[in-house]
Amino acid sequence: MVEAFAVASGKGGTGKTTTTLALGMALAEDHDVTVVDADTGMANLLFHAGLDDADTTLHDLLLTDREATVDDAAYDRFGMRVVPCGTSLAAFENADPARLRDVVAELARDTDVLLLDSPAALGSKSAVLPLVLADRSVVVLEPTIPALSDALKVQEYARSYGTATAGVLFNKVRDEAGVDRVADRASEYFGGETLATVPATETARTARRAGEPLLAHAPTCPAATAYREAASRIDVRDGDEADVAARFRSAVVPETP
Amino acid sequence: MQEPGPGSEATPMRLPRGDLLRSHVVDDPAGPLRTALDRQLSGYAVFEPSDALLLGARERGVLTFEAGVPTLAYEAASDRGGPDAIAEFAHPGPYRVELYELPASSLAAAHEATDLRVPPATPATELADDPALAERTREVAPPERVDDDGDDEASALEAFLEDEEKISAIREQARDEAEQRAAEWGLTGELAGDGEPTAGDDALTTE
Repeated sequence: MVEAFAVASGKGGTGKTTTTLALGMALAEDHDVTVVDADTGMANLLFHAGLDDADTTLHDLLLTDREATVDDAAYDRFGMRVVPCGTSLAAFENADPARLRDVVAELARDTDVLLLDSPAALGSKSAVLPLVLADRSVVVLEPTIPALSDALKVQEYARSYGTATAGVLFNKVRDEAGVDRVADRASEYFGGETLATVPATETARTARRAGEPLLAHAPTCPAATAYREAASRIDVRDGDEADVAARFRSAVVPETP
Repeated sequence: MQEPGPGSEATPMRLPRGDLLRSHVVDDPAGPLRTALDRQLSGYAVFEPSDALLLGARERGVLTFEAGVPTLAYEAASDRGGPDAIAEFAHPGPYRVELYELPASSLAAAHEATDLRVPPATPATELADDPALAERTREVAPPERVDDDGDDEASALEAFLEDEEKISAIREQARDEAEQRAAEWGLTGELAGDGEPTAGDDALTTE
């Protein structure tokens, strides 16, 4: 079985990468989980996962004449398989984002859950590719009007490509009672339940500085608990590995980033 | 020659006309809010969606400042005040913003309308989505105003979510844009196509 989720948000700074790794760690208690930094233009998952010094990253797999294998760029960390992306601009420019399909198709063979940490923008083919390829999306947003507007936009893009919403996660929440009040209404628009309201926490920052996912750094903090609750509400569906791989391989190839 | 000041129609917010400091179209409403804060402006800003025709929006929001700190919000078309007014004139995309200055004494009477009050950081959060600016506004605001901020984080968002028409417009615009972009990017073949049921369709209002 395998199901691919795009973890998406309409803007940067929503805590998307923190969320991706937190959901990944929580889901890894029951599933084989692979996390991919699909934000190839603004990679930061490596910092969150203590992989700053990773020799081989997704960028190496996206080279037209690649020598690296998928296994070279996949690291076993925190109970998950983590595929970080490098931060070199030159590497980004040399990378062919279209090859992401092949990489993900290969990773899909060997996992239950694929989490694609997706770009926060929708301005290019490569940025929307994770939304195109995923089975469902998890939308991460802060409880503000602009963030909700942007998140709705991301959702509509995803749905245009047949990618339904698995759920919505309110992040960096200061007023939990207030957000609980609006969560049901928001869910109606998103067509996916509110997975959790995750409290704002300085711990997310200290975890990143320590190069650890939040669930490893502070497993009992309220935010970690909320992320676990979110993961428990995601009902991972059975997908056929071959079908998913075929879908990824047959997707239209974008030409340039 | 100048446009009449906001509230010149039959509205609960009546302000003297101020001196126009600047008038421009901004993608990010944080700019004018930051300007007001940095200048410790006494005056007001008028916000209008610059793509009003596209969204069919007619909102015209007024936000007053006391020593740079947002104080009252009012939206004329809906006749709503406070965080609800912010929800009315918040929208994705660029705004035309006019920033006016007034002597603090000229605002004193208007600022007695406590039902139009907004928590100081609400515009930075709900219009601009700028947590740093929100924090800086809280630091500058008088302590008694920050206390008002209390548990009001979600009230503007709550009012926004009640506006089904606006949310439908945002979604429809996003879908149109997605399809248009898909064509530009050669991804049309990946589109799900019309009528494919997806969870949540019942929440959509179609034309």
